Amino acid sequence: MKTKGRVGGATPAVWGAAAGLVLVVAVPFVFIILQAIFPQLGSGSLAAPFSEFAATLGDGALVGMAINTVLLGAGVVVLSAMVAVPLAVCRALFRVPLAVLWDAILLVPFMIPPYIATLGWIMTLQPHGYLQQIAGFNLASFLFSPAGMVFVMTFNTLPVVYFAVSRTVEAVGARYADVGRVFGASPAKAFWRLTLPLATPGLAGSLLLVFAMAIEEYGTPAALGRTAGFQVLVTGIDLRISDWPIDLPGAAILSLLLVCLSFIAFLLQRQVLKRGSYVTTGGKPQAKDKRPLGRWAVPVVAGFALVAVLATVAPLLAIVLTALSKTLSGGLAPGNFGFDNFRAILNDGAGALEALVNSLLLGIATALVTGLLGATASYVVVKTRARGRFLLDALTVLPNALPGIVVAVGLILAWNFPGLPITPYNTPLILLLAYCCILLPQPVRYATAALQQIGDNLEAAARVSGANGLVAFVRIVLPLIGPSLAASMLLVFAVASRELVASIVIAPVGMQTISTFIWQQFEQGSIGLGMAMAFIAILVTTMLPLAALALLRRGGAVEV
Amino acid sequence: MLKSIIGVGMLAAASIFATSAAYADITVYTAGPQDLIDTLSKGFTAKTGIKVNVFQATTGKVMARIEAEASNPKVDVLISASWDTATSFDKRGWLVDYTSPNAANVPDFLKTKDAVAQGVSALGIAWNPKSNTPEPVEWADLTKPAYKDLVTVPDPAQSGSSFELVAALEGKDGWKLFKGLKSNGAIVAGANADALNPVMQGAKAAVFGAVDYISLASEAKGESIKVIFPKSGTVIAPRPAMILKWSKNQDQAKQFIDYMLSDEGQAAVAADYLMPARTDVKANRPLISQLSLLKYDVKSVYASRKDTLAAFADTFK
Repeated sequence: MKTKGRVGGATPAVWGAAAGLVLVVAVPFVFIILQAIFPQLGSGSLAAPFSEFAATLGDGALVGMAINTVLLGAGVVVLSAMVAVPLAVCRALFRVPLAVLWDAILLVPFMIPPYIATLGWIMTLQPHGYLQQIAGFNLASFLFSPAGMVFVMTFNTLPVVYFAVSRTVEAVGARYADVGRVFGASPAKAFWRLTLPLATPGLAGSLLLVFAMAIEEYGTPAALGRTAGFQVLVTGIDLRISDWPIDLPGAAILSLLLVCLSFIAFLLQRQVLKRGSYVTTGGKPQAKDKRPLGRWAVPVVAGFALVAVLATVAPLLAIVLTALSKTLSGGLAPGNFGFDNFRAILNDGAGALEALVNSLLLGIATALVTGLLGATASYVVVKTRARGRFLLDALTVLPNALPGIVVAVGLILAWNFPGLPITPYNTPLILLLAYCCILLPQPVRYATAALQQIGDNLEAAARVSGANGLVAFVRIVLPLIGPSLAASMLLVFAVASRELVASIVIAPVGMQTISTFIWQQFEQGSIGLGMAMAFIAILVTTMLPLAALALLRRGGAVEV
Repeated sequence: MLKSIIGVGMLAAASIFATSAAYADITVYTAGPQDLIDTLSKGFTAKTGIKVNVFQATTGKVMARIEAEASNPKVDVLISASWDTATSFDKRGWLVDYTSPNAANVPDFLKTKDAVAQGVSALGIAWNPKSNTPEPVEWADLTKPAYKDLVTVPDPAQSGSSFELVAALEGKDGWKLFKGLKSNGAIVAGANADALNPVMQGAKAAVFGAVDYISLASEAKGESIKVIFPKSGTVIAPRPAMILKWSKNQDQAKQFIDYMLSDEGQAAVAADYLMPARTDVKANRPLISQLSLLKYDVKSVYASRKDTLAAFADTFK
């Protein structure tokens, strides 16, 4: 791809992307670095630089935590790939029975907050949990182990891989494999040598996301890892801010370590993608017809069903059962069920509805901002020859390794600086900034993968026909990357509307979000109420994007 | 399509601005429980017309925010769940001296010149009567075979009161008790709620050192939970309320402290199953005078916090 001519003259896009990335990513990140270097930054003092490094990095447990972090991330990546890639390939190349249903079901894990899914699994698999109450046995020793953590996290994040890979493989289509077959390759060989390699951008991009999500995730390792004695960097970071006395500089230093890990993964992914060209959309008509599965129909459907149960049905069932239980200790007894918790939420006891509206608005705004910024930034990185585009690319992957809590602290340090004439701090905009920072990598990865499959000749043709850069981008590029971008914006919406860790620290005074509401219920031991809220939130965040997609599809603008 | 996206975006942005926090007369940062601060701020506003804007999180998260904001602080009143925060803020000179007229019936050990307790919680054993285990009466009971693999311990690194309990018990008998717990299969759970949940569902039988008011509230809701305060002694966690010296609304902040210590305010504290700070306010739960307390020196306990936590982690490795 390097050898091909790139589109020049996209200067407004370059400046727009750069300005957006500086505001959303670089500003908080710089303040995190400053906090790591200057321990008393919060009080406005630059005294004793680097004084905390020795103590923090000299901690003997650190190496173990770093190794565990990598192991966990790698485990989730491998298992996600093993489970999601075969399904995605089937979905992309064959006529899978009930395909739309499986897509819809696999969309749901996006909407289940990881800490809720984990809690659901705990309540299902622990002794006297739902599984034991129904089937008479429990799987506690499996759940509370590193393998259990990998399992729970995989089934929460594998839709990322499933949707990215099925989309890119679909874009590759069967055409290239057919050419291979003509030249004598077996079907398997054509798949392994042509189809899968051509889908590498989507695969590598989504696996990078999964890795970064796994090493950044807090709830699951905190709930499951402690019992297994399996500490990771994020739990180490949170421990420094979980009780008085708190250690902000230590948390910042550990976060930088996490960023390094993620950056290594990012370089690895770039190295993989450097090897070849992935252009498959060249303006030639695509045959979209899929093949029948034949005798493989039953096993493939069974595979989909199994994954659907583990990723969506089981956690959702645990959430609903808990929400419907009057008391936790009452168990699955007929007399113990009722709608008390849902009634409490609808009666708006603790500002539940307001929290719901706040989160939904923030989710929509975050999806729009990150979608626009992500599309522009990845366009600049992939399609222009702007100088410093590697830097931009690096900036877009950075936040994925920043734990939410650290982003929050960085944002407070940056925007609560005395003497700023206007500041988003203590307004809902600070949450928007935090969510955009944390979630920007998603649209960027998806859009980059899509852009790498689009030939430059399409845009060049538009320019030759008289369109200016903006028109060519809006009329040619945007519609082509639309499906991928829309999918990633869905993901952003879902995650932003339930983000917990940053929200707890940075929410403006007096403002609740879905997740802070749920978390406060849990803290007070009202698990049923928290789960009822979680269920309503999952329902709404699933329905809203589906409705939006249906509307768009009717308009003929996006095909997903 | 682009136009409609921009339109939706502007709409979303506009409504976000519209939901922006209203102008606040005082800002209170507090460690839970949420409904207590809701009741207090509602009652206070009804009485004085002064609005209260609340930020509520765990003590650690509240402190992280104050620490990050320190160059341009926003908070007027802080209510923490750990008395140690009052001590260190006093040392930094961040607090306003104030003795509320309503603090007359607050015992001396629950007030200083610049901090006063809102209420007090204690630690106890939270036990599930449906767990087919005998009712424990002492800490050491939980090391018996009847509770094999059935005990959770809140992480002292994540909860100030758990830390004080560990330190006080360790000061009394060394690590023997905790080694016994470990060899009996007890596990260290996260913060308080994480330790209580498995006991409510029946996966575990008892929490070693549960925060009492959460367990008492769960019991009142019909959960199968009983709180037991061992005779050998436990620890209490007074929740200090303080006014920050940078507050521009110190008079209103003082009024808030007065209201918090008024009959009405203390009744709200008691309604959440915390012990009221005032000895003359009734509560539907055991009070400090009915508990036996472990004796330990808070100062020296916190001075060796790091070592104690390391030794604890080592015991449960």
